[in-house]
Amino acid sequence: MKAKIIVGVVVVAVGIVLGAVNFIESNVEYMDFAAAQRANKKAQVKGTWVKDQATSFDPEKVQFSFFMKDDADRTVKVVLQGAKPNNFEIAESVVAKGRFSGEEFHATEVLTKCPSKYEGDAEAVKKSL
Amino acid sequence: MLIGHIGAVIVKIAFLSALAAAFLYYRVHREQSNRLLGFARTSYHLAAMSFMTSATIFLYLILTHRFQYTYVWNHSSTDLPLPLLISTFYAGQEGSFTLWALYAAVIGVFLMHYSSRKDYEPEVMSIYSLVLSFLFLMLVVKNPFTLIWESFPNDLLRNGPIPPGLTNYVMIDEAKGVWAQYPVEGKGLNALLQNYWMVIHPQILFIGFSSMTVPYAHAVAGLMKRDYNSWIRVATPWSVFGAMVLGTGIILGGYWAYETLGWGGFWGWDPVENSSLIPWLLCVASIHTTLTQRKSGAFVKTNFVLSLLTFITVLYSTFLTRSGVLGDTSVHSFVDPGMWVYWLLLGFIALFATIGFGLLFIRMKEMPKIPVEHSLLSREFALFLGAFALSFVALFVVIGTSSPIITSILKGKASAVEMMYYVKTNLPLGIAITFLSGLGQLLWWQHSKAGTILKSMAVPTGLALATTFLVLLMGSEEFLILLFTFCSAFSLFANLQVGYGVFMGNPKFVGGSIAHIGIAVMCLGFVTSERYDDKATVSLERDKSVEALGYQLTYVGYKALDRDRYAFNIEVAKGDVRRTVAPSMHFTEQSTLRHPDLVNFINKDFYVSPVSVEQPSKGEEQSLTLQKGGVAAVGNLKITFVDFDFNNFEKGAMLEGRNFVINVKLEVAEDGRKKPLTVQMRNDGAGNEFVPATYLAGDGSSYEFNLVRMMPDRDERSRSKVEITVALPVDVLTKQKGETLVIEASVKPMINLVWIGTVALVVGFCLTILRRGSEARLKSSSSVEE
Repeated sequence: MKAKIIVGVVVVAVGIVLGAVNFIESNVEYMDFAAAQRANKKAQVKGTWVKDQATSFDPEKVQFSFFMKDDADRTVKVVLQGAKPNNFEIAESVVAKGRFSGEEFHATEVLTKCPSKYEGDAEAVKKSL
Repeated sequence: MLIGHIGAVIVKIAFLSALAAAFLYYRVHREQSNRLLGFARTSYHLAAMSFMTSATIFLYLILTHRFQYTYVWNHSSTDLPLPLLISTFYAGQEGSFTLWALYAAVIGVFLMHYSSRKDYEPEVMSIYSLVLSFLFLMLVVKNPFTLIWESFPNDLLRNGPIPPGLTNYVMIDEAKGVWAQYPVEGKGLNALLQNYWMVIHPQILFIGFSSMTVPYAHAVAGLMKRDYNSWIRVATPWSVFGAMVLGTGIILGGYWAYETLGWGGFWGWDPVENSSLIPWLLCVASIHTTLTQRKSGAFVKTNFVLSLLTFITVLYSTFLTRSGVLGDTSVHSFVDPGMWVYWLLLGFIALFATIGFGLLFIRMKEMPKIPVEHSLLSREFALFLGAFALSFVALFVVIGTSSPIITSILKGKASAVEMMYYVKTNLPLGIAITFLSGLGQLLWWQHSKAGTILKSMAVPTGLALATTFLVLLMGSEEFLILLFTFCSAFSLFANLQVGYGVFMGNPKFVGGSIAHIGIAVMCLGFVTSERYDDKATVSLERDKSVEALGYQLTYVGYKALDRDRYAFNIEVAKGDVRRTVAPSMHFTEQSTLRHPDLVNFINKDFYVSPVSVEQPSKGEEQSLTLQKGGVAAVGNLKITFVDFDFNNFEKGAMLEGRNFVINVKLEVAEDGRKKPLTVQMRNDGAGNEFVPATYLAGDGSSYEFNLVRMMPDRDERSRSKVEITVALPVDVLTKQKGETLVIEASVKPMINLVWIGTVALVVGFCLTILRRGSEARLKSSSSVEE
């Protein structure tokens, strides 16, 4: 009986520690470009796509790059490992997840935040009359 | 009165009848007499029948394209083929709740007959009807029959005379002259959902979700009746049925993601996937712990807790994915359904958790205390640990999926966990679970002798070591992955060994072994296909063969599947084997959807995901500023700015702020041949839009003309200027480069193991349902098996 309780307690303790450590580690922090560059670790940066600067796609390396302005108004070139994200053109804001490499922000993922559906729907309903 | 109004009223009737059924059944339970039983049954049947009627009306509106209804307009269109049109029924929030409630209502009819034979009807059905009434309440609040002018009053409601010839309108208030115009075409089904998986997958998932209510209802019924043992026997066939259906749904969803959505793998730890995995894990855990209670009477409370939690997590998962609380942190887009749904769902969780756990707390003291008699080396203990590990997986997945909520409370900013979280936390548990699912089968109830176990473990261990060695030959891997491989293989062989023995004794009892074999084979498939896969990004220039991952790949051109969907044909060759894959891309207004394609070999999949298609780059652009009558040369073209074309009608329109158009007339001369060309500026009130014009030269190359700026001179019209750009045809060099398709190719070894394992799992579940079903039919006086 005693052995079972010890086994149980150890298993639960290990489980909780494992879960907590991983949870904290895998929750990438939000910061602006300046902080992300200082911290030199994986970060999430929220901002907007700077439309009047060129975007490009490199089919050899499969990299999509664009310029992004963060909330502190700093513009940085973001290089995404992958193709252009969905809804990129119509996104109100974007969140890039990655880390700095020199002056470029190398993103592994770019999430797009789209305008509220209701506004889009009101437009769409007028079109389909 | 519109037919939709009738539908909405019937939903309300269904809600009230279900509530009445819950109350009447509860009275039957309290009075311990059948005085009200007939009324209770009638109420339930009325609720179920009304709801089926309203669902039929809903389907009718979809099939007849009634775009007067917001839901129909929002999710369907006239060009959808029939199966997809039917599937728009559950493409949106209101519709999927309707489908869930519909299945729950139908399952309830069977449950009523089942539980009346088991002497459980009043309690089970009162709880079940209460759950059902809450599902109906969701649809009273979030009415699927909302009219489109109620959703968009500012855009659709009109006042005054109806323009002649208009047919798509409804008179709303004759006296005040208020009428509404409604759309003649719907927005259509989300492109991501337009495939055959959409027809079958949600159906299975919702049958699974609906049946998860049944173990909850039985657990509460057991507590109400102070029957702490035999409820298990009654509930088990349903739990196993729910686990089988939901499990099938989850795996089909995985296959959908793999084969059509192009997530690269079959599992992305996405909230929507997780939301069905969590209740499934708890349900499976409860199936295991109830087994112990059947044998020894232990785990009475654990079984209540797990059965209650199975349903509570269904509600919690629904809350996560349906309330908009996860926001933008997932690839799935969660439409914000409004605060009502948010609070209702939270209310559900609170209510059903309070009923279940409150009653459990009250009854706790009087529950029989069964002394734990089994040793560490007993099947009971292995089952307990296994169920414990399964619950821990469920807990980790709950925490991970809730990360946006947790982080927004703790840090004020919602963020999702990365996929690695799930892998890292669940891998050790997966190792434990697979090992226990093998060991548990080798152990005896109560106690086993160490020597006997070691002897029976010898063969499976040896074979598992050999398998691990074979896997190791494919390449080195992390220790934990190899351990997982070993444990999965151990479980496979241990269950084969035990299953063979059981099959020789009583084939009816072999379900458990087969299900475990299925899980073990799936786990081996996960390791080989996800850990030993090979990936490469390849640029395929048209008609040029490229070698990648040992295959010769040639992109041979694309084919339009419809207006904005293209299939890209790629020839895949290796030795004598020659196949064609056709991944496709769907270019919608907002985004590009990429659908993979694959070649399924016996021992691997060759999987191709399109990334982008690069057209030959446009030629250089030349910018010109021309005065009226002036000529400029571009290549061997001579371009003249003739005049603006801006007549009085358009001027009037501009002054009144209506839409207007200004044309700029040009003349293009090539080798003395002159051709007029017009570029245009349109103003639609919101802004200017320039319409380009294309000039086709004598050699077949095309020049694109675009307007940049107009500089009219009011005093001296001949001094007016325009600025235009001319895009030159692509030069010979880039033309030769041709279009290039970029793909991501991967080889996934032994992925068929995942699908084979799935089939075994389902077969195992089916056999178990048959066995437990016939057990539940035998009315045994003793609630504990001998």
